[in-house]
Amino acid sequence: MPYKFIEHTADIAVEVEEDSLEKLFASACNAWRDAALINKKPDNTGSKKFIFTSGSLEELLVELLSELNFQLYAKKWIYISVKNILLEKFNSNYHLAAEVFGQPLEQSSVELKEEIKAVTFHQMNIEKNGENFFTRIVFDI
Amino acid sequence: MQILGINIEKISDNLWEIPKHGGMLVPGRIYTSRNMLEGSLQNDEAIKQVINVAHLPGIQKYSLAMPDIHWGYGFPIGGVAATDLNEGVISPGGVGYDINCGVRLAKTSLQYDQIKNKIQKLVENLFKNIPTGVGASGAIKKLPPHEIKNILRKGSSWAVENGFGTQQDLELTEENGQLKDADPELVSSKAIERGMDQAGTLGSGNHFLEIDLVEKIYDEHTAQAFGLFKNQVVIQIHTGSRGLGYQICEDYLKVLVQAEKKYGFKLPDKQLACAPIKSDEGQNYLRAMRCAANFAWNNRQVIMHLAKQSFHETFSISESELDFQLIYDVCHNIAKIEEHLIDDKKKKVCVHRKGATRAFPAGSPFIPDKYKSVGQPVLIPGDMGRYSFVLVGNEKAMEETFGSSCHGAGRVKSRHQALKDAKGRNLIDELTKSGIVIQAKGYKTIAEEMPHAYKDVSEVVDIMHYAGISSKVAKLKPVGVIKG
Repeated sequence: MPYKFIEHTADIAVEVEEDSLEKLFASACNAWRDAALINKKPDNTGSKKFIFTSGSLEELLVELLSELNFQLYAKKWIYISVKNILLEKFNSNYHLAAEVFGQPLEQSSVELKEEIKAVTFHQMNIEKNGENFFTRIVFDI
Repeated sequence: MQILGINIEKISDNLWEIPKHGGMLVPGRIYTSRNMLEGSLQNDEAIKQVINVAHLPGIQKYSLAMPDIHWGYGFPIGGVAATDLNEGVISPGGVGYDINCGVRLAKTSLQYDQIKNKIQKLVENLFKNIPTGVGASGAIKKLPPHEIKNILRKGSSWAVENGFGTQQDLELTEENGQLKDADPELVSSKAIERGMDQAGTLGSGNHFLEIDLVEKIYDEHTAQAFGLFKNQVVIQIHTGSRGLGYQICEDYLKVLVQAEKKYGFKLPDKQLACAPIKSDEGQNYLRAMRCAANFAWNNRQVIMHLAKQSFHETFSISESELDFQLIYDVCHNIAKIEEHLIDDKKKKVCVHRKGATRAFPAGSPFIPDKYKSVGQPVLIPGDMGRYSFVLVGNEKAMEETFGSSCHGAGRVKSRHQALKDAKGRNLIDELTKSGIVIQAKGYKTIAEEMPHAYKDVSEVVDIMHYAGISSKVAKLKPVGVIKG
């Protein structure tokens, strides 16, 4: 498992480790899904494309995961998987494009597990750990 | 004493100080006991966060923490900091995502004996009428954006204008349920969208509505002023600004992360992102944050009205027989401009209260007329199995804590640990045997929120009481609970 949930007194904390930044971002999305939803193997029925630009990798990751939160709680659309992540640095900014697969909540058998209020910056630091990239993410619940 | 390698000096049995060191601009002060310092505070990052907050530009006197301190992000939960209006900063990390999360206490004229045979029905009606749980919606019809913006400007007044309460409710709400200088045009369409179907919803996690009986009175005079008597049935509502508030915090955190770079601040935690209060970024955050605060007051006002209807539905009694009235509503996640005495001079500061309750004393011009002779009610919910407390603000709070007290029990067990501890137990049965009827969206919430996942709130309020910050008035015992 490229991510594992760790003890946190009040909230949900997860550590993610992958051999590329793109995979790190994808696994972070899957960790968000496992924190927010009781997964009953839903089918993808559609996709949405997101593009973000931020001054740091951490801000970019918070943007992406926060969008999943918004899609769930405001648009009632659940994230299931992510493909085709493109990540590059250009003019001192980081750019991310991702195709996110999911389905409307009402068509899904998925149950909501926790209300993730927000994705925090607390203890988030995307760094190299040997050959891999590593970060911790704390979800405010 | 050393905790996690940090030197902590005893000021008194209930107050401990972290001397200024490194980049700290002021010392840290924690209202706590040796027992708590050597217990739950050994296990998390909360004390480090008190130190981090002491790095905020313009911070005045101390980086403070109340006895329910525990690990948050940016500020610890239970953190209080006042910053200078000219030289200081505003930080969303000192308010939290759930802007104006708070507590409301309402009373009835009923006594426990009059409801004890119908508590199950009352809980069912409350659960039916008040949307609870993850992403709860639909207490009132989905509101269009312009109506949400009206709520963001008006706060509780919107609810009263639309039949969800009375003028008296406004007078008995902190800030009359409406922070001025709230600007809905500074709130994103995403935040508005998250709020459109959430007015009057309880949400999930530690939010709740509780039916309590007044188990013990400590201060007859003040209890009488608050309208409390022994065995009386009261309700507590604990919720905040829901998705709208979370989104506003998230939106402005992005702005303030950039502002921190722009103004050249170097803070030990990105979640402490901040901007000078006087800057455009700081002022915009404040005005948007006030919108969320107003949304939260409106939310609790609507929920209280739905709760009152549930009492009528259950007991078929007249308005005068029920005599359902708000006692007070306090927020515990907020930043407000207030005047405090600093170096013997009155000074306007921005008081951040992150899991801390305003606790103004008798005579304060900022509390309702009916409480001016005794002080402001300070509402401290505990856990769903033991008790909660009503306190009253004291003058010493103005001298030491920028008029602030604790806000609750504070978690000691992670949700994961609570779930493990709940295995093999029937918590609903255990609560029923101790006279508490509970209804929740799922058993998982009950397990995560089990009573011993929290500190004993009596230890927390005793520290505030004996430190002279806020005094005990009454103890409440839960008899019915609804949760998300």
